[in-house]
Formats: sequence, structure tokens, C-alpha cells
Amino acid sequence: MIAIYVCAVIAVYAALRVIAERNTMRKLPFLNVISFAVTAIIALLLPNPITIIAAAAYFVGSTLESNAIASTWAGGIKKP
Amino acid sequence: MNDIVMAASVILILIGMTAAIINRDPFDKLISLSILIAGVFPFIVDRGFLDVAIATALIAPLSTIFTLMVCRRVKE
Amino acid sequence: MTTELYSPEFVIGLVVLIVGTISVAFPRDKDYLTRLINLEIPGWGLLLVMLHYNEALALFTFAAMSVLSTYIFVRIMQKKEGI
Repeated sequence: MIAIYVCAVIAVYAALRVIAERNTMRKLPFLNVISFAVTAIIALLLPNPITIIAAAAYFVGSTLESNAIASTWAGGIKKP
Repeated sequence: MNDIVMAASVILILIGMTAAIINRDPFDKLISLSILIAGVFPFIVDRGFLDVAIATALIAPLSTIFTLMVCRRVKE
Repeated sequence: MTTELYSPEFVIGLVVLIVGTISVAFPRDKDYLTRLINLEIPGWGLLLVMLHYNEALALFTFAAMSVLSTYIFVRIMQKKEGI
């Protein structure tokens, strides 16, 4: 039961680090930290075997979103 | 749901909402919106809607990618 | 159909819905892109409010239609600004 508490504390700490950071590119690793912590919260929340599929789906979706933001940001700066 | 996990989800939702409204750069707004989406998912799973959670987790990044399609053109 | 009167996701969903709607109506930059990104905040607030009523099919339909309306708005912006 202590694991889900640790994951919740890590998620809140990473969210506070994201809004305290000024540079856009340095925000993205902490966004990944939030994604991992929420994936662990989803997997540990209910004692149901289908929960791990939901956690895997959220992990794939959040990683895809973060990579899309990083790729567009890196491509948009170098273009002009 | 535990009180600590629920408090963490509510804090994530409020931080994401406030930062998405206050920031002016579109990429910062999208990152803050991602924090808000991360706070919504424990509520969906806690209700027992696992199929809704799977579908929403796979559909939600498409909205961000569609928004980024405009976002890149404006920046250059 | 509703077991308890005020569940936590109902209250936080109403807060997100009202604040997000105000932020769409009066954004800091009067821009199409700012309004489009702010429009997704009350969408998630409305999903939290709909979660209180235990209807799975409504959540499916709302999530699909939200992405489709975002795509239509993006196409409208690309046609209007000529980019």
C-alpha cells in the first residue's frame, strides 16, 4: 500500500517542477515522470487483471504525445 | 480511492488547469494540458470504466497532434 | 441512478468546466490557437461531470466527438489563415 503513496507524491513533485521550470525543453522530462507515476497509479489502483491493459494504453498514448510535442518544438526552431 | 491518491489527482488537475490558462506559449499550454489529462485518468479508472480508460488514453493524443499541426506553422 | 449527491469528480469537474469556459471566452491573447487550446480544458471538465452519472456509452461518444471537432477546427483555421 506504500507504493501507490510514493507514486502520488512523485507525481505532485514532478508537476510542481514542471510549472517552476522556465525553459520549454526542460519541462518534457518531468512530463515523462508524471506519465510514469500516473501509469503506476492506474496499475495499482484496482485489483483487476484488465487494469494492466489500461495502464499500457495510457503509457503508449502519453509517450506518443510527449514525443510529438518534442519533435514539433525541435523542428519549429531550426526552420527559420 | 484513497484520500492521498485522490488529493494528488485533484492537485494535478488544478495545477494543469491554472498553468494552461496562465502560460502564453502554445507548447507550454500543451504540456500543461497533458498534466490535466494525467490528473483525470485515476478518476476514470476508480469508477471501474476500464474500457473507457483504454479508448480515451488512445484517442486523447490525437487531439494534441491535430493541434500541433497548426502550432508548427504559426511558429515559423 | 446516482448513488451519492456530491462525488469528488462532480465538484472538481464543475470547477474545471466553469473556469475553462471563462478562459475560452476571455483569453489573454485574442488568437485562434489560444482559444482552441483553451477549448480542451472545459472538454475534460465536462468528461469529469459526465463520469458522475455512470454512463459508459456517453463517455465513448464524447471522447470521439471531441477529437473530431478538434480536427474540424484545425482544418477551418488552416483554410482561414491560408497556411
